[in-house]
Amino acid sequence: MPGRDMEPLPRDARLAKRAHWLIRVRWIAIAGVVAATFISYRLMHIPVQEHALYAVAAVLAAYNTVFLILLKRSARHNEETVVAKVHRIVSVQISLDLVMLTVLLHFSGGIENPFMVYFVFHMVIASILLPARESYLQATLAVALLVLLVLLESNGWIRHYCLDHELFEGVHHGGLFVTAKVGVFATTLYIVVYMAGSIATQLRNQEEAYWQANIRLQQNDKVKDEYVARVTHDIKGHLAAVQSCLEVVHNKTLGQLNERQNDFVGRALNRTRTLTNFVRALLRLTQIRLANSYEMQEFSLREMMANAITAAEPRAETKNIRLTTEVNLSNDIILGNSMAIEEMLSNLLFNAVKYTPETGMVALRAGDTDDSVEIEVRDTGIGIPAEEMPRVFEEFFRASNARKVERDGTGLGLTIARQIVLRHHGDIRVESVQGRGTTFTVTLPRRPTMPGLTRTKNEPIT
Amino acid sequence: METAKILIVDDDRDMTSSLKAVLEGRRFCVVTACDRREGMEALRSESPDLVILDVMMDTWQDGFEMAREIKNDAKFGDVLILMLTGVKDKSGIDFKTSAGDPAWLPVDAFLDKPVGGDVLVAEVERLLAGT
Repeated sequence: MPGRDMEPLPRDARLAKRAHWLIRVRWIAIAGVVAATFISYRLMHIPVQEHALYAVAAVLAAYNTVFLILLKRSARHNEETVVAKVHRIVSVQISLDLVMLTVLLHFSGGIENPFMVYFVFHMVIASILLPARESYLQATLAVALLVLLVLLESNGWIRHYCLDHELFEGVHHGGLFVTAKVGVFATTLYIVVYMAGSIATQLRNQEEAYWQANIRLQQNDKVKDEYVARVTHDIKGHLAAVQSCLEVVHNKTLGQLNERQNDFVGRALNRTRTLTNFVRALLRLTQIRLANSYEMQEFSLREMMANAITAAEPRAETKNIRLTTEVNLSNDIILGNSMAIEEMLSNLLFNAVKYTPETGMVALRAGDTDDSVEIEVRDTGIGIPAEEMPRVFEEFFRASNARKVERDGTGLGLTIARQIVLRHHGDIRVESVQGRGTTFTVTLPRRPTMPGLTRTKNEPIT
Repeated sequence: METAKILIVDDDRDMTSSLKAVLEGRRFCVVTACDRREGMEALRSESPDLVILDVMMDTWQDGFEMAREIKNDAKFGDVLILMLTGVKDKSGIDFKTSAGDPAWLPVDAFLDKPVGGDVLVAEVERLLAGT
């Protein structure tokens, strides 16, 4: 069920692309007609109707321009009608081309002209782009046009321009030859349509099946997210209760504990907190993935960066880490979900501080790029082992050296940051040298184009 | 019954501490180790009667390998092994049916984490009594 937030079926996208391609190819064909006419008449002295052929080229150029304009206009309509429109444009174009090709043949020797084979090209294009029935109709049109041309010329109703040249068969072969030629030609067209059409249909069905499977995967993924959201929500409730009960004992509200009792309650409380953090992060990630749209507002990135720095400062101070900020923005107001972006920024900063040894440095920098802002969080921390780099944004993944610094981490912080960036149609990259430091670079569009950010942007399913 | 000595090997210190507290409460003598290497050292120096072994140490299989190492070494022929694990939920393997298969899982008993203090003590006493 293709919903509004799904990408168009690749076949439809391809149709529009092919329609433009058809127009480009026709410009080449027009140039070809002009060149062929010039060469045959002027250089090879073949008695083709020079002026008539140039006129045909002009007509071709005229309707090609009209189709180009129509096509550009149709793109502005909504998706469902665009496909139907483009479809009709392609269909009419092919029919018109067949007519024009017949006219060209007429002025250049009729059935004698070997260029009549060019009808085959249109059959291939029609079989790939149009439904089977329409391709057969186009083939029938081509055959009908040719038969008509032959009938008109052979009965003298219109003139036959004989090509008196050694390259051509000459006209005096009689009716049987002409009938055979038209017959072979007609069967060729139908067979081409059948062959190209059946291959195209097979590919189309396959593509449709993949597309449907992709949608099913996305739906399953959503079901999984909803399941995770519900389960983690329940777990969080129980955990909160456990934690508050333990806190009552640990805070000695109910009386003194001996040292060992206090130690054990403290351990339990720490583990509960770790788990609560983990569950909270998992819930957050699932919420981001499930949200159909994001509330967007304009906010000052400069202020947000200052807030994020202030929040990270106490932790940095205890480790004697120098925090620096640099903002080179022509305009620091951007559109986005400010809460989510602040969360992403804090995640990156806290990570940087957490994994940077004492007396290190963490630098936050923002700058302009075309329509985007680029935010960089650079640290002189422990870095990420090169072989683990591809996995850093994976859910639950923690680098081996990170686990040594801090045993209990959720492995979800970077996943959340990445999800937030992706939902803003931005990009996040990481560079790192183990033992030297890590740089995260986030690119955010100043104005994300679609406010109802789509699920399909979550994870491309490949 | 004279005081038996128990070695607990688990990389989670909260686990070793709490198990130690439970078993010491029952007058067992308890030593702890947090990885395979420390565990094997303690096995030699403390000669415990029973080892409580966690499966999921650093490499996910240190527990299994340590169990094999103990059982394959004639010096430790009498040492009992009680394996503690939380992997059943994740792997779907039921260790109970395999416990005691010397080739695959050379342990004397197996308990799934989390385990209540009473259950643990009952199992430890059953093993030590040799029933």
